[in-house]
Amino acid sequence: MSGFQFFFEGKTIAAREGQSVAAALIAAGERCLRVDEAGLPKGAVCGIGVCWECRCSIDGSADIRACMTLARPGMNVRRQQGLDPCSDQ
Amino acid sequence: MQRSIVVVGAGPAGLAAATEAATRGAHVTLLDEAARPGGQIYRQAHSALGDSEYAEAGERARKHDILARFQSVASRVDYRPDANVYALFGNGELHVAYGAGSEVLRPDAIVLATGVREMAIPFPGWTTPGVMFAGGAQAVLKSQRVLPGKRAVIAGCGPLPIVVAAQLLRAGGDVAALASLRPLREMLGNPRALWQGRQIFYEGLRYLRTIRRAGVAQLSAHVPIRAIGTERLEAVVLARVDAGGHVVPGAEREIACDLLAVNYGFAANSELAAMAGAELRFDADRGGWLPASDEFGRTSISGLFVAGDVAAVRGALVAEAEGQIVGAAAAVPPKSIGDATMTAALRTALGRRQRHQAFQTAVRTTLRVPRGLWNLTTDDTVVCRCENVKLRDIRSALDAGHSSLNAVKRNVRSGMGWCGGRTCLRAVAALSELHAGIAPPVIMTPRPMVRPITFGAVVAQKKAVDA
Repeated sequence: MSGFQFFFEGKTIAAREGQSVAAALIAAGERCLRVDEAGLPKGAVCGIGVCWECRCSIDGSADIRACMTLARPGMNVRRQQGLDPCSDQ
Repeated sequence: MQRSIVVVGAGPAGLAAATEAATRGAHVTLLDEAARPGGQIYRQAHSALGDSEYAEAGERARKHDILARFQSVASRVDYRPDANVYALFGNGELHVAYGAGSEVLRPDAIVLATGVREMAIPFPGWTTPGVMFAGGAQAVLKSQRVLPGKRAVIAGCGPLPIVVAAQLLRAGGDVAALASLRPLREMLGNPRALWQGRQIFYEGLRYLRTIRRAGVAQLSAHVPIRAIGTERLEAVVLARVDAGGHVVPGAEREIACDLLAVNYGFAANSELAAMAGAELRFDADRGGWLPASDEFGRTSISGLFVAGDVAAVRGALVAEAEGQIVGAAAAVPPKSIGDATMTAALRTALGRRQRHQAFQTAVRTTLRVPRGLWNLTTDDTVVCRCENVKLRDIRSALDAGHSSLNAVKRNVRSGMGWCGGRTCLRAVAALSELHAGIAPPVIMTPRPMVRPITFGAVVAQKKAVDA
């Protein structure tokens, strides 16, 4: 499984085995991983699980830190919008 | 009787403490939030990616050695990755969550080797995606093998921005500018200290050579004052600052980039010690609120020890030597701490700690943030990112007479969000001092859970384990 794909907002993202969701998204040029409750776009900041800014909805579970989560083939990652957990998919 | 010891954190201090205590026959449990040991500085990539080779050979050798020493006793250590320590009480009860479950540990001694996080100085636009902490950008590079940006501006103070700039270049990245708050030559004023740490100093010179050879614009006494972009970072405005940290008008320049990696030093992860009721002291240059501790890492609470940067920011080499010292102190009966047998066996570690601490006194001058720099945070700047609390909100609480971090938090929610104040707490303290004269700052009371865990994990808690 050295190279594989997952989905972010319906787009196909290429990843390598061992990469975090955040790293694969950054490599793919994605910067905005969440839109917060005030409408501000947010991306990865601390990279080590402290700040929680990169939390995404992954396979229907909301508020998962993209920087602390290993990317897996076929994952469905959504960009949370404010309080909407995007957990409907 | 075998002593039971829980070490929290598997960076250099925690690994050394666990290794030493296990070598002395203690029953050691090592808890760490990451998937692999090493902490932040010796962060290991997933085996499928392989470790990066952007760090200096000396650092890579130190990483290899400390991990190898730990491996040699690993069969005798109960090492638990992906462990989330979310509470510590004064009676020595430590609460830890592992995914969907949790348990309470009550060992004979606890060693907190929880390290530091990066300290933020909020400035306009710093919430724009593409603005990262320098160590965060480095983590993406070294453990994920991904360039965190196509064109980077690196900024801040101390050694980390230099290391990150050089490593980005070595990985094939483009660094548009390296802005330093203070000129590094300030370190040269302490030649004796530099000589004590020449090993690290030479590594620093090699990083600087990488930067010079790449022709990167190096701006001394410059800081980012504004990040431009909405959905993503497009440019950064750098400005000159005077020795007091005040922006010099008319000396601004805008640089196009998609990554700003900034570091203004570190904040100690001292919440667990504070929650347990350990006496704290405040040292702005060395991590902020620090558990008061003696040379053997003993805090004001019996059986609670600290080691490494959480006790005072002094870098990985001090942390490793101190981890060994504190690991020994935790492993021997309390009455034997500091006796002739113990200190004789630790002579090498005690000497190494002293030598590397001397070097760190030279580094310390480069990490000092002048008071005026906190004026980068304007009234409209978001300070608490989780709760979108602006400086204006915090000032209105202060003006109304809410004169502590706890009171400000209760009224405007700064520090109440997902990160538990770990990102903004130092900023709220410094800004309260700047705008309302509140000093010395008293830490915002840390309460369980110091980090988010699921309710299900608490409900699924195992009974207390008296090891």
